Amino acid sequence: MGSRWSPYDNNGGTCVAIAGSDYCVIAADTRMSTGYSILTRDYSKICKLADKAVMASSGFQADVRALQKNLAAKHLTYQHQHNKQMSCPAMAHLLSNTLYYKRFFPYYSFNVLGGLDNEGKGCVYTYDAVGSYERVGYSTQGSGSSLIMPVLDNQLKSPSPLLLPAKDAVTPLSESDAVDLVKDVFASATERDIYTGDAVEIVVINAGGIRRESIDLRKD
Amino acid sequence: MTIFVGGFVFQFDGFQKKAAETMKHAHGTTTLAFIFKEGVIVAADSRASMGGYISSQSVKKIIEINPYMLGTMAGGAADCQFWHRNLGIKCRLHELANKRRISVTGASKLLANILYSYRGMGLSIGTMIAGWDETGPGLYYVDSEGGRLKGKRFSVGSGSPYAYGVLDDGYRFDMSVEEAAELARRAIYHATFRDGASGGVASVYYVGPDGWKKLSGDDVGELHYKYYPAVVEQEMAEVTIA
Amino acid sequence: MSIFEYNGSAIVAMVGKNCFAIASDRRLGVQLQTVATDFQRIYKIHDKLYIGLAGLATDAQTLHQRLVFRHNLYQLREERNMKPETFASLVSAVLYEKRFGPYFCQPVIAGLGEKDEPFICTMDSIGANENANVIGIELAKDFVVGGTASESLYGACESMYKPNMEPDELFETISQALLASVDRDCLSGWGGHVIVVTPTEVTERKLKGRMD
Repeated sequence: MGSRWSPYDNNGGTCVAIAGSDYCVIAADTRMSTGYSILTRDYSKICKLADKAVMASSGFQADVRALQKNLAAKHLTYQHQHNKQMSCPAMAHLLSNTLYYKRFFPYYSFNVLGGLDNEGKGCVYTYDAVGSYERVGYSTQGSGSSLIMPVLDNQLKSPSPLLLPAKDAVTPLSESDAVDLVKDVFASATERDIYTGDAVEIVVINAGGIRRESIDLRKD
Repeated sequence: MTIFVGGFVFQFDGFQKKAAETMKHAHGTTTLAFIFKEGVIVAADSRASMGGYISSQSVKKIIEINPYMLGTMAGGAADCQFWHRNLGIKCRLHELANKRRISVTGASKLLANILYSYRGMGLSIGTMIAGWDETGPGLYYVDSEGGRLKGKRFSVGSGSPYAYGVLDDGYRFDMSVEEAAELARRAIYHATFRDGASGGVASVYYVGPDGWKKLSGDDVGELHYKYYPAVVEQEMAEVTIA
Repeated sequence: MSIFEYNGSAIVAMVGKNCFAIASDRRLGVQLQTVATDFQRIYKIHDKLYIGLAGLATDAQTLHQRLVFRHNLYQLREERNMKPETFASLVSAVLYEKRFGPYFCQPVIAGLGEKDEPFICTMDSIGANENANVIGIELAKDFVVGGTASESLYGACESMYKPNMEPDELFETISQALLASVDRDCLSGWGGHVIVVTPTEVTERKLKGRMD
């Protein structure tokens, strides 16, 4: 009595992104699992799509890889046609359309896109599997998202962009504080989520370029 | 209005089922729109949920199709976003081809025809198209089952029964814009209070002869204590035992 | 939708320095429809022992009545209050009686023991105990959670909790954790209810929260 074959698997993993006034932090753990097994402890979920756009994705990593290659190809075409790097808001829109293009056989991937917008401000875009997206100040996706989100709300809660009269919605944190917060929330999520752990890869984008660092997490 | 009615054309085997699950980002919602003397009022909450988990409190459910037309979103977030964007393109092309803006009737029918062509394939959309055209204010309800209704007053989403209660009670055709906006805001607030899947910010838009304008965006967490300040005092009284 | 999620609930208990706190939300709903916003989910057993019952509200009320009944019998026979450990065993036994037709509840028990040492624990709906005694036992846990917002609560508590908090700080921490968590859950919230118990004093507070 074998169960029916499925083209999807869930490899777990958690992604977090925080936008600041002149920087953006994108982070994801490096564990890849299937069921109760760990496939590898050292798998990067973060992909650089353009100079100022970085995507972190959890879900089904085969679909994620396919999506990353698809976007890379489209970005190469864009560079040939326009002789420049795609901006983060443009990449955000492209990602939405790419995901919706497979509406009836979706990429099983849950993405956050982070980078700098045309004014050099940090931006984070959060998606569902079929391409609905929203620009936010911070976001988390993946298996540990429900553990991390209330903590981010508590620490970063910024006025909603829908408010009228509008209030300034930028995260008040400094870059180093944001990186510390990311380390904290991953350490916490690792305690309770079996799909999150091993290490957290943190990417920081600012006017100076892209910087990567990695911090060890629990391995059990 | 998240009706995933049965009777899909395809057999729902393993992966299509899983595929459908990933789109359960379909959210409970409260949206409403009504026509009155001065034009159309459109209002909505801003919550998106997956099961019991609130995935966002800041969704823009009122989509600005062009300066004279708004669409509301209920159902699958991606479906609504994508097809409204698509409708915006089609309306602009109509404008360029015919040297005048498309009517609300025409725009809503463009959308309804697309949705009808995808009928049975699992799209989930319940939307209102509201705007101002050469004939005055216009309001249509369109859904992914192929329905398209013209009307003066609609509410869509899981919170709609509560919104209708307030709306039907307070509605008059000859309201001022301020009165109408307050009615819409109150209807959304009451829906967010009773409906677990609605909440966040109550946004209110007005469409008149000069196009749409956002009138207000209020955090319903604060609206509650504005509408019922007395109850709070009593509930906040501190009780100390022993 | 699971029957545990029919009414919606969020309960959390935390241990501090010679004290504990237990908190819950105030909503009673029928699926997505909010019916009441002053619902009691935390019940007092005696001055230093509280139980919060997450899950199906009707079962929670019945179970509470049975537990009070059993505790009354105990008081009559022994002429003293139950220790939290004993009470946890009682709850576990009462739940297991209904092994094949369970009460759809997750209990969260919090109390002060004989020497005023704090005790918190939780168990599943058929009484499998998950003990969490901070003093003495090595596998110490410092907070327990239950209800539809439990995942959010795990995340919030894991980040916010620190050992040996004084009552005031404990109240602040548990309140922040509760409110942050229920604001990400459709089925719980609409205000909060916090009880902080020290050897000499019980402080009960109602929290003002988002009403959506």
